[in-house]
Amino acid sequence: MKAYLTRHAQVFMRTLGDFARSPAATLLTVVMIGVTLVLPTGLYVGLLNLQRLTLGWQPRGSLSAYLAKGVPHATVIAAIRQIPGVASIRYISPAEGLRAFATSSGLGTTAVVFRHHNPLPGVAVVTPLGTKPSSVAHLAAQLKTVPGIAHVQSNLAWVKRLDAALALGHRIVVILAVALGLALILIIGNTTRAAVASRADEISVVGLVGGTNAFIRRPFLYAGALTGGLGALCALILLEAAFLALDGPIAALDRAYGAHYHLSGPDLSQALGLLGLGALLGWLGARIAVGRALRSRRI
Amino acid sequence: MIELKHVFKRYSLGTEALSDVGFSVARGEMAFLTGPSGAGKSTVLKLICLLERPTRGQVVVNGHDLARLRPHRLPYFRREIGVVFQDNRLLNERTVFDNVALPLLVAGMTGDEVRKRVLAALDKVGLRGRERGFPLALSGGEQQRVGIARALVHRPALLIADEPTGNLDAALSDDIIDLFQEFNHHGVTVLIATHDLRQIERLQARVIRLGEGHMVNAA
Repeated sequence: MKAYLTRHAQVFMRTLGDFARSPAATLLTVVMIGVTLVLPTGLYVGLLNLQRLTLGWQPRGSLSAYLAKGVPHATVIAAIRQIPGVASIRYISPAEGLRAFATSSGLGTTAVVFRHHNPLPGVAVVTPLGTKPSSVAHLAAQLKTVPGIAHVQSNLAWVKRLDAALALGHRIVVILAVALGLALILIIGNTTRAAVASRADEISVVGLVGGTNAFIRRPFLYAGALTGGLGALCALILLEAAFLALDGPIAALDRAYGAHYHLSGPDLSQALGLLGLGALLGWLGARIAVGRALRSRRI
Repeated sequence: MIELKHVFKRYSLGTEALSDVGFSVARGEMAFLTGPSGAGKSTVLKLICLLERPTRGQVVVNGHDLARLRPHRLPYFRREIGVVFQDNRLLNERTVFDNVALPLLVAGMTGDEVRKRVLAALDKVGLRGRERGFPLALSGGEQQRVGIARALVHRPALLIADEPTGNLDAALSDDIIDLFQEFNHHGVTVLIATHDLRQIERLQARVIRLGEGHMVNAA
């Protein structure tokens, strides 16, 4: 076992030595892979940010029951509590509604003109127990029958639209990831093919002195996995740089809307996942290329 | 150790390289395989190393019937023989030490044992102290000695050499052939393909003659 690990360590060190001997070519390949990986990874992390942002906007699937003018809200709230399937109720008074409107609309001082005649009704934000569209629709129908409720609005429609848009985004990320993963395999496969061709004499001699295919393959597989891993590391660096560059303007935009949101780059598990995926795809590209080369040997 | 029985070899372009060739070399024997250019000497060596397969006939080396050798066993078979080439086929970007160590590394050997064996092999060929150098910094004769050290470092039972003195002057050729003879005295079976008649006469070893792909004699 010790000898086996020593052999692998020797090949690993020799591969690093090969990289160091041709730094420009190595850097070019690594950056090419980094740029290839940064697009799907950036989109994926961007979508996660968007998802986290929208989760904070509204209780998903909640219903807004607008109260008729002059109706005591306590009576209406009590009536709503009697309806089965209600998880919680939050009452927003007309004054609270006006304050929130003044802040989030950006109209601020303009909204103050309504201070003496607030046109906004009181709103009961009802969160249903279930999130199924059918149960939310049933609850909406029941709320409409409660005396004192002028109008019921479901948030379900826009939540469904948002979820559909996010699902589409995820699908696009998957398609891009598959296409660009394939590109990574091809880049490393092509690099390995060139390396195999340039080391044809060495491969021939190793074969003549009794080297197995596994022995011949090993340095190329290490080179492929290392190139893929370093490419993924390059993608992470590019991504962090992009997120750092975007964080300031997004925070400024958020402040303008009175929100407090910070863009997050990939977390540790996502970063490790990307490094592992890069190394795996690199290994696969090298395995395919060197396998083809070895099969083409005559005996 | 080596046995060829009614061996024919026709290359894909239709050239008949060998026609009904048969001879044997006993364990511990030293023999020259000779004949003019195009006689089929290199083809015979390629068949013995399994770089080529015969069109017809049987080749048995160190107890292995090569026609029955499974492809995954081929590397292990090659570790039983040592091969010296006319152009020595050294890896020029690797040190002398790394070149000689190669057969040991492919066999899975590591550490001190590799170092000990490589230095002993270089000592035998008179190149101790040159292990850190690179092949291109050595003379033709020295390069050939590195090739011989590489062929012998894993202590093979059989040593095959294809025109090992082809690029060397007479004095260096004598040194190289004397080395082969010394290894033979230590029990290694040696088969040397050469058309250097001077060496053949000098050593009085057994001669297997080929002519245009046919056996001339195997005395």
